[in-house]
Amino acid sequence: MIRLEHVSKVYKTSTRPALDDVSVEMDKGEFVFLIGPSGSGKSTFLRLLLREEVPTRGRVYVSNFDVAKMSRRRVPRLRQSIGCVFQDFRLLPSKTVAENVAFALEVIGKPKNTIVKVVPEVLQLVGLDGKADRFPTELSGGEQQRVAIARAFVNRPLVLIADEPTGNLDPDTSQDIMLLLERINRTGTTVIMATHDHSIVDSMRRRVVELSFGKVVRDDARGVYGVGR
Amino acid sequence: MRTSFVFSEVVTGLRRNVTMTIAMILTTAISLGLLGGGLLVVRMVDKMQANYAGKLEVAVMLTNDVSTNDKDCASDPCKGLRSELDQTSGVESVVFENRDKGFERFKKIFEAQPELLKLARPEAIPATFRVKLEDPERTDIIKTAFSGKPGVKSVDDQGKFLERFFEGLNGLRDIVLILALVQAFAALLLISNTIQVSAFTRRTEVGIMRLVGATRWYTQLPFLIEAVVAGIIGSIAAVAGLVLAKAFFIDRITRNLTESGIIPPIGYLDILLVSPWLFLVAIMISATTGYVTLRLYVRL
Repeated sequence: MIRLEHVSKVYKTSTRPALDDVSVEMDKGEFVFLIGPSGSGKSTFLRLLLREEVPTRGRVYVSNFDVAKMSRRRVPRLRQSIGCVFQDFRLLPSKTVAENVAFALEVIGKPKNTIVKVVPEVLQLVGLDGKADRFPTELSGGEQQRVAIARAFVNRPLVLIADEPTGNLDPDTSQDIMLLLERINRTGTTVIMATHDHSIVDSMRRRVVELSFGKVVRDDARGVYGVGR
Repeated sequence: MRTSFVFSEVVTGLRRNVTMTIAMILTTAISLGLLGGGLLVVRMVDKMQANYAGKLEVAVMLTNDVSTNDKDCASDPCKGLRSELDQTSGVESVVFENRDKGFERFKKIFEAQPELLKLARPEAIPATFRVKLEDPERTDIIKTAFSGKPGVKSVDDQGKFLERFFEGLNGLRDIVLILALVQAFAALLLISNTIQVSAFTRRTEVGIMRLVGATRWYTQLPFLIEAVVAGIIGSIAAVAGLVLAKAFFIDRITRNLTESGIIPPIGYLDILLVSPWLFLVAIMISATTGYVTLRLYVRL
């Protein structure tokens, strides 16, 4: 599903590589935590999958895409098969919940009748049925993140990338979001979640890939955040 | 779906930067209005050249003595001059116009200015041979052959006067077109700026669009259409401006000249014929500027 082969990434402004000879493989339907301190290379890892960045060395595969080598024209296809959720939600404040979700489909040219059918379904899946006409500012942080997850999932991506999705949320709300991500994972979607939140990692007991100074220092099939924390 | 989405984006985009949009439209309109004015002058000069081409004459004016005493050109030197003109090669026709007829003609031309007519006396008008040439460009033949002959006061070449008049009009055209060019440059910078501002205010949207896999056309088309729509509105304003200028301004100041047939009037048809060019230029400039700006300055 996702395969990185000896991937290194050196930014022009930095002497130390952000990723240093990383080789990882993730299967379809896996739930993977990507952990490590700030600056360990988590964000670079995720950006490489989305082709926001191109690796300096090595190869990146997502599904059938040879991400590093593919032409710019095919990048939208890659991104359509990856959903993204961020710490800061990134919702459009001038659009309602339903419109925010529909936006993701509109801009990739999905027909209107599909959108009308699919959006309520996904809102129900994330537990926001009845809030379709609210604006993001009228929602709690947890609810806003649900909207963001709905938007990321509405096109049924193969992979869902979550970059610290609980970073702005209290522990209880975070638990709810994790349950939602688990539910999405059970539909067969691969979930990759970068996080600092060790209680979540510890309670979920899923695969943990730990990065430190751009290297993979640990890859446990059923890991915890870290010893002694 | 696609089109309605793109157009709703365009409308919000234009609304969000109202002041910039208005500035963009106004500069475009002024630039195109000047361009249209220049094109109208070009049309006018063409029409005049066509109008005058068949009519250009050389006037051989006779001395006061001949003008007073020989009303029918019955004796020398008038008679001799006439036959000499008739025999000159390249001359198509020669018409003798005595002082009275000349004064009639003068009165007709300056009908609109009675105060001028009051001052004029027939004695000031010389009897004249109006010589039409087969090739209107070759006026110098007559000039060199007849200047200074006995009985000839002067040889007046209408072509030379007209040439100077055309030079004046062409100068006007050049000034107007240069101004149009300067304005077009300002419009270009404004379009480029507006797109950049527009892209900046919508960076969240565009970021999301990129993230969910919208194609480049989808993310950029709204900005491009925004520029083109502003360009089209600008050209409509320019055409409206030309029509208003004709109705309230140009018609009034050129009335005397057009009524006496010296210059052809600018008609609404002329404006109608010029306006497609303005639309075309507006669309081309705004689309190219938009495209280049998006390519070079905006990372979408």
